[in-house]
Amino acid sequence: MLFYRVMRLGLLPLILINCLTGIIYAKPTSGQEVLDRKINLVADQKPVKSVLGEISKLADIKFVYSVQKIPANKKVSLTAHDQRLGAVLDELLQPLEINYHVSGDQIVLTQKAERQGNLLPLHIDADKMIPEAYVVKPITGKITDESGAPLGGVSIQIKGTNRGTASDANGSFSISADPGETLEFTMIGYKTHSIKVGSETSLSIRMEPDVALLEQVVVVGYGTQKRSTLTGAIASVNSKTIAELPVASVEQALQGRVSGLTVTNNGSPGTSALVRIRGISSISFASDPLYVIDGFPTGNLSNFDTRDIEAVEVLKDASAAAIYGSRATNGVIIISTKKGKRDGNLKVFLDSYVGTQSPWKKIDLLNTDQYLKYERALNGAANIALPPRLESANFNQPIYQGANQTFAQTNTDWQDAYFKSGMITQHNLAVSGGNEKSRFYSSAGYFKQDGIAEGVNYERGNFRINSDHNISKLFTFGQSLYFSYSNQRYDNTSGNRTRLVNVVRSMPYLPVYDPTTIGGFRGAENSFDGADPTNPIEDAILLGDAHNKTFKLFGTTYLEVNFTPWLKFRSTFGVDYANLYQHQFQPIYDDKGRNSAVAKITDLRNNTTTKLYTQQLTFDKTFGKHHLNAVAVFETQGQKYYQENAAGTQNSNDIETFDGAGNVSFKSIKAENFLVSYIGRLNYEFAEKYLLSAAIRRDGLSIWAPGKKYASFPSASVGWKIDREPFMKGIPAISELKLRAGYGETGLDAVNAFYGVTTGGVYYPWQVAVYAGGATYPFSNSNTTGNGSYYNTLANPNLEWEKTKQINVGLDLGLLDNRITLTAEYFRRKTDNLILKVPTPGSFGFNGVGSYQNAASMENKGFEFQAGYNKTKGDFTWNVTGNMAFIRNKVLKMNTPNATIDDGADQDFGAGAITRTAAGHPIQSYYGYIVEGIFQTDEEVQKSPVQNPGTDPAKSTAKGDLKFKDINGDGKITDADRTYLGSYIPDFTYALNLGANYKNFDLSVFFQGVQGNKIFNAARVITEGMARLFNSGTAVMDAWTPTNTNTDVPRAVSGDPNQNVRPSTRWIENGSYLRLKNVILGYNIPGTRLKSLTRGAISSFRVYVSSQNLVTFTGYKGWDPEIGSKNTTLTNGVDYGQYPAARSFQVGLQVGF
Amino acid sequence: MIIACNKQLDKTDPSHPTLETYFKNSSELLGGTNAIYSIFHSAALVGREWFFLHDLRSDDVNSGGGQLEVPRAQMLNGATTTDNAVMNNVWNGLYTVIHRSNTVIDNGPNVTDNTELRDRCVGEAKFFRGWAYFELVSLWGPVPVYTTQVTAPDKFQPRKAEAEVYTQIITDLTEAITMLPATTKDQGRATKGAAQAMLARVQMQKGDYAAAKTALQAVISSGLYSLMPNYSYNFDEEHEFNTESIFEAVFFDRGDNNFNWGYTGDDQPSAQPQSTVRNQEYSPIAWRNLIPSNRYLNEFEFQNGTTIPKTDPRYAFSVYQTGDKYFNNTLTLTDAAQNGNASVVNGVTKKVSWRKFMLIYKDNNTFHPGGINQRIIRYADVLLMMAECEAELGSAASVVTGYLNQIRDRADVAMPHYPTAKYPCNSKAELIKAIMHERTVELGDEEVRNRDILRWRKKGYFTTDPLPYFRANRDELLPIPQAEIDNNPDLGAGGINKQNPGY
Repeated sequence: MLFYRVMRLGLLPLILINCLTGIIYAKPTSGQEVLDRKINLVADQKPVKSVLGEISKLADIKFVYSVQKIPANKKVSLTAHDQRLGAVLDELLQPLEINYHVSGDQIVLTQKAERQGNLLPLHIDADKMIPEAYVVKPITGKITDESGAPLGGVSIQIKGTNRGTASDANGSFSISADPGETLEFTMIGYKTHSIKVGSETSLSIRMEPDVALLEQVVVVGYGTQKRSTLTGAIASVNSKTIAELPVASVEQALQGRVSGLTVTNNGSPGTSALVRIRGISSISFASDPLYVIDGFPTGNLSNFDTRDIEAVEVLKDASAAAIYGSRATNGVIIISTKKGKRDGNLKVFLDSYVGTQSPWKKIDLLNTDQYLKYERALNGAANIALPPRLESANFNQPIYQGANQTFAQTNTDWQDAYFKSGMITQHNLAVSGGNEKSRFYSSAGYFKQDGIAEGVNYERGNFRINSDHNISKLFTFGQSLYFSYSNQRYDNTSGNRTRLVNVVRSMPYLPVYDPTTIGGFRGAENSFDGADPTNPIEDAILLGDAHNKTFKLFGTTYLEVNFTPWLKFRSTFGVDYANLYQHQFQPIYDDKGRNSAVAKITDLRNNTTTKLYTQQLTFDKTFGKHHLNAVAVFETQGQKYYQENAAGTQNSNDIETFDGAGNVSFKSIKAENFLVSYIGRLNYEFAEKYLLSAAIRRDGLSIWAPGKKYASFPSASVGWKIDREPFMKGIPAISELKLRAGYGETGLDAVNAFYGVTTGGVYYPWQVAVYAGGATYPFSNSNTTGNGSYYNTLANPNLEWEKTKQINVGLDLGLLDNRITLTAEYFRRKTDNLILKVPTPGSFGFNGVGSYQNAASMENKGFEFQAGYNKTKGDFTWNVTGNMAFIRNKVLKMNTPNATIDDGADQDFGAGAITRTAAGHPIQSYYGYIVEGIFQTDEEVQKSPVQNPGTDPAKSTAKGDLKFKDINGDGKITDADRTYLGSYIPDFTYALNLGANYKNFDLSVFFQGVQGNKIFNAARVITEGMARLFNSGTAVMDAWTPTNTNTDVPRAVSGDPNQNVRPSTRWIENGSYLRLKNVILGYNIPGTRLKSLTRGAISSFRVYVSSQNLVTFTGYKGWDPEIGSKNTTLTNGVDYGQYPAARSFQVGLQVGF
Repeated sequence: MIIACNKQLDKTDPSHPTLETYFKNSSELLGGTNAIYSIFHSAALVGREWFFLHDLRSDDVNSGGGQLEVPRAQMLNGATTTDNAVMNNVWNGLYTVIHRSNTVIDNGPNVTDNTELRDRCVGEAKFFRGWAYFELVSLWGPVPVYTTQVTAPDKFQPRKAEAEVYTQIITDLTEAITMLPATTKDQGRATKGAAQAMLARVQMQKGDYAAAKTALQAVISSGLYSLMPNYSYNFDEEHEFNTESIFEAVFFDRGDNNFNWGYTGDDQPSAQPQSTVRNQEYSPIAWRNLIPSNRYLNEFEFQNGTTIPKTDPRYAFSVYQTGDKYFNNTLTLTDAAQNGNASVVNGVTKKVSWRKFMLIYKDNNTFHPGGINQRIIRYADVLLMMAECEAELGSAASVVTGYLNQIRDRADVAMPHYPTAKYPCNSKAELIKAIMHERTVELGDEEVRNRDILRWRKKGYFTTDPLPYFRANRDELLPIPQAEIDNNPDLGAGGINKQNPGY
C-alpha cells in the first residue's frame, strides 16, 4: 500500500544536541525511568545549553529543542544533590516557560505557548507532567536504486504506526519521526530497507533489488504470475545483473547467472554465444532456446541492447515452457523491456563505459633456431632433404630485395603479430517518464568492440521507444519499437584451418610483411619452404575484408479491452524485420606463396520478415479463498525470407561492385513458413496454499507433410505452499517453503531446424527438392552456368516434431525473512522421436547424406541448486548467491541398435572421427584410441600388437612411437580398438556472486566455473602433432629421442608412419576451469554533495571500474578453456584453435539527470 | 479463420521444383544428364580423388615428400583403411553418377516431346552408369547394383557377384552404343566411339579379348580417330577435343584460384564450371604430392650406344626435370624450386616431376587450379588395347607389332619399330613384354596402370609384383568403405561377405 498523500510537517529548524556521540541505545527506556535517574549538579550563571549539556552527560540522555524557541544562552544557576532528574528539570525549565517530554532516550523541549495543529498521533510516555507535549522531527532524504538513479514511489512508513509518505520522482522524501522510531522503506521488487531514526536529519537510502523476490511478479508467457504462486522452474535475472557485464549480447550477460543455463562464448565479437538450458536435447539440430521479447517469439538476440532490459525470465522446465508448445523443448528465455514510471516526472539516465581487452594467454612456439633443429629432426628422420630455403645460400639472403635482414636473422613472433589489445565501449542514454494516462521509455545505445586479434570487430547502434496509453477505462493501447544496425567484421576462414592454426604453423624466419609484394604481405612458398601455412595476418587484414551488416526493426503494438476488472481482451500485432548484408572483398595480391590475379567480390543478402498476430482473452478473479486465472489465445506467426547470393571478379582493386565484373554468378532462395496456435491455460489457487496449473497448446506448422502438420503440447503442474499451513506457524525461522512438481510436453523448433537459408533452401523435408540448374558442365569449354539439374536426398512425409516429455520437481525454501533463500530442482527429460539424418549408404548416390527420420531417443536428467544470503541492514550490506547444476546426458536409442554418428574427422587433426554418438553414451562422446605410453626399445615394438596393420611394420613403427592399446586383444591396433574417451559435458557447472555495499561504495565479484568436462585439444595436433613440417609449439623440442626418453611426446618423423596423431587420449584434456568472470568496484557520489556541485542538474552519479576474466584457474593447455562448437552440434568441445575469451578492464559511469 | 489458417499451412518450396513435377520433358531430362557430367568432373572424381586413387594404386608414382596427406600415403603404401577419405569420395562419387544416371534412365520413357534428344540423354546416362560400375567392380569387386532411383530409406541392395556386375555394365554400354551419336555438337559429350572404347576396356578386364577386339575394331573402323603428330597435344590446353581424344573430362579455368572443394560437382550456390586441382597436386613448383616412380622413369628406353639407338622422346614429354624450361620457355626449373624427394633415372639422381596435364608450360603460378581437360580414353590406348587383344587371341606377331608400331611412329616420337634388341617379339610372352613396355611409357600417369596391373597380375605376367606391399587375396581390391557397411544392412544379403578378404 503506497501513501501518495505527502504529509508535510511544519519545518522547525532543529538542533540536536548529542552529547553522547557514539552511544548506541541498547534497550528501550521508559520516560519515567529516565526521569527517576538521580544526578548531582552545580551550575553558577551558566548558559542554559551548557547546563543541559552537563545534564545529558550525567543522565545519559539527549535533549532536543529549537534554538529559536528555547533561550539557550540565558544564564541560570542551579544546585542539585542526588536529585531526581525530573525534579532538576522542573527547577530549571519551569521558570523559562519550557515544557519537556521524554521520547525514548531523548528529552524534547518545547515552549509552553507553542500550539501546533499537527495531527500526528503522538507516541507519548506516561509523563503526566507535560500532557500536551509532542515531537516533530522532519527527516528529509533521497532514495536511489541500485544503480544510483533516483527512485520514486517508494513507500516510507514509520514502523508500528500508520504514519507514512512516499518518495517523489527525484527520490526525495520528508517525514516526521521521533528519534528511536524505525523508518521502513518498501517498494515492489526491492528489499525492504529499515533504519532507526537517530541523530540524522538527512538520509541517503539505496534500495537493493530483492533477489528473493518473493512477491515479485514474473512474466510467464501470455501473462504474469506472482513468484510465490509459481509451480514451474522459472528463474529471473534482473536488469542490474544483465547490464553489469560489458558484453555485446544478452546471452553473454546470462553466463553463470541461472543454474542449468549454460552459456559458452563461441567466437569473435558479434558472434552469438551458445546457450543451452538443461543440456542438449537434439542430435541433429541446434539446442538454442526460444527467445520471447515482449511477447514476440524470435530467433536470436545478437543485436539486442542489454541496457533496455527490465527483466529476463528463464523457463527451464516443460510445465512452464510448454505454453510455447512446439518451440519450447530447449527452454524459453522471456525478455521484458523497460517501461516508464507513472510518477509524473521525466528521468534521464546515462550509462557509459570504455575499456580495453587482450588475450590472457599465449602458447610457446618455436623460434627460428629451434625451428631449424626441429626441421632436421622431423624431415631427417624420414630422409627428406632440407627445404631449399633453409640451405645456407638461400637462408642468408635478404628477406626481400632491398631488405637489410636475412631469413636467418628474422625471428617473427606470429602470436604477437596476430593478437592485440582492443577497445570496448558502450553508451546508452535513456529517457523515461509517465503519468496516469501515458508512459514511455526511450533509449539510444551504441556498442563497439575491437577484436583481440587482427581482422575482427563489432559495432552496433540502436534506438528504442516503448509507450503505453490508458485511452479510457475500457481501452489501453501500447507499442514497442526497436531499431538497430550492426556491422561485424568476422573471420571468414572456412574449414578448421583457423587463423590460429596458421599462427602456429607460420615459420618464424618469414616476415609478416613484404613491401615488394602485391598487397604487402609475405607468404610461405610451399615448394621452397617445404610447408604451406597461409600468412594469418594477411588472412585477417588483407583477405579477411568480410562484413556482416544487419539492419533490424522489431516492434509490437497492442490494444487491450478491459471489459471488467476480471476480464480483458488483448490483441497484439508484431513485426520482426531483419536485413543481413554480407560483403566480402578479396583484392588482387601476390605474397609469393599465394596469389590472385583478380579481385573477388562475394555478396549475400538475407531478408527475413516475421509477422505475429495474437488474440488473447484473460480471466482473473478471486472467489473467497479460490483464485482462478484462465487464458485463451489464438495466435499466428508467419515468416518469409528471401536470400540472394552473388559472386564475381574484378580486374582492379579499386572497384568493389559488380560493375563490369567477370565470372558473375547469382542465386536466390525464397521460402516461407506459417505457424498457427491455439492455447488454453488455467491457474487455480486455493487459500494461497494449494496451486494448480494446466495448459495445452495445439500448433500447426506449414513445413510438415499434410496430415502431420498439427500436434498438441499439454502440461500440468502443482504446488504446495507448506509455510502457509498452520503447523508451520511454530517455526518462524522458515519464511517460505514450497514444493512444486510438473510435467509437460514440448517440441523442437522446426522452423529453425529446417531454416532454408542454412539447408540450401530446403524447407520442406517431406518433399524432394530438385536443384534445377544447380550443376554445371562446361561442354566445349564454354563458361555455361547451371545447365545441370539434380536432386540429392530422400524425402520423408512421415516426419514430425521431436517431442520431449519432462518432469520437474522443485523446492523453494526461505529462512529468516528470506534473508537466506534456497531453490532446488530435479528434472528428467526424454525425447523419444529425435530426428536423425539417418545416413544413407554411399551406394544410394546421395553422397552419404542421410534422410530425416524420427528415429532416436535421448535423455537428460539433473539437479540444480540456487542459494543466496542477503544482509540488508547497516552501512555494510552484502549478499552472496551461488548456483550449481548437474546434468547427465545419455542417448538411449539410435535408428538401429549399433548405429553410430561419427563427427569431427579432419585430415589436419588426426584424420579419424573425433566424436561418436551411440546408444548408451552421452551425445558426441569423444572416441579414439588409448595411449599406453611410448615404445622405448625395438624389442618392445616387436612383441607388442601391430600398431599400424597393413603397412610394413618395420617402416611404420619404431621406438619413440606411441603404443596404442589393443582393446580387443587381436594383436593389432585397428578401428575396433577405439573406445569412448569422455564427454564435453561437465560433471557440474557453478557460479558464485558476491555483492557488497559500504556507504557509497559497492563491490561485485562474480566467479563462474565448469568441472569435469573434457576438451579435445585439436590445436595441440597442430602445435605438437609433428605429422609433417610446419612451425610448432616448443613441446616438439621435447620429442622422444634415444637420449631423451623420459617424455610423453613421441619421436619426430615426417609422415607420421605410426599415426601418432590419430584421435586418442593424447589429445584429451581436462577442461575444468574456475574463472573470476567479473569484478566491479563502484562509488556513488552522495546525493547532497552532487546537488550542491551541479546545482541539481545531476541527481545521481556512479563511477566504477571493472574487469572480466581477470583470473582463470585451469590446467587446460590451449589458449582458453571455454570451447564452443565451430561446426556442427556434434563437435562441441573440440578446440580447433578458436578465438579465445578476452581479459578486459573498464571504467564506467552512470549518471541520472 | 481456422480454414484460412489451414490453407496458409499448405506450402511447398517456392525456390525449387519438386521431384513430382520435374524431369518430365526433354529439356529437364537434358539437365539431369548434364548433372551426371558435373559429378563426373567433380573433386570426388576426375577433378581430384579419382586420378589420385588410380595413381596411388599403381606403381607409376612415388610420394613427393612429407606433404602427402595421410589417406593418400595409406593408399600408396597399401595400408588403406576402411575409412580412407580418398576411397570414400570415389565410392560416393561413382554412386552419385549412378544415381543421376538412374534418374535419367527412369524418367526417359515418360518424355515424349523430343525423342531424339531423349534417347541421346538416356544413352549418355547408360554410358556413365556402365563406366561407374566398371570403376566399382574393378576397384572393389562385388558391389551393390542399383538400376533404378532409390525411393525410400530401406531400399538397400546387396553386393552382387563380379560376373553380374559385368553383365550389367556390358548391357549398359552395349545399349549406349546404339543410342549415342558418332559425333556431337557439344564437345565433351559421350559418343558412340567412347562407349565402344569403354566396352573394350571392360571386356578386356573381364578377360573376353574377342569381344574387346570387336568393340575396338568398331572404333578403329569408324575413321573418326587418329594419333596426334605431337605427343604433348594429349595433355595441354590448346589441343583439347582433338582426333586422338575419344572421351575427356572437361575443365574450365575461371582465372581465379577457386576450386570446388565441396566434392559434389555442384558448385552451390553459384553453379560455376569447375577447374581441376591436378595441376596443383603434381606440379613441380606447387605441392608436388606425387612424383614419377623410379620404376616408371627407368622403363623408358635411354640411348646406350649399343642396344638402344635413341632415347624415347616421350620421357621428356612426360616429365619435367631440373634444367627444363617452363613458363613459355622463359624460366628454368631448378632443384630448389622443386620441393621434396629426388629420383634416380638411368643411374643419375635428380629431381623429376610430372609434366602431363601440368599448366606450368605456360603459367608460373605456384597455386592455380587449371582448366586442362583430362583425357579419359585416347586413340593410342585403343591401338594398344587392340595389340594386347591380338596377342592374347594368338594373332601373328606382325599384327601385334603393327599396332604397337603405329604408336612408335607418331611424328615427334619416331622410335624404332618392334621387334627391337630389347623387345624381340618372337613369342606371345615377348609380345606381351613389348605391350607392357609400350603401354607404360605411352600411358604413364594416365590412370590406366592400376587396371593394367590387375589384369596382368591375374595372367601371371609379373615375376615380382610391381606393388612392393602386395599381399595376395587382399590387395587386389580396396576395402568396402566402413560407412557403406554401417549403413547398408543388406550389403551381405546376397551371400557375399560385407567386407573384402584381408580387411
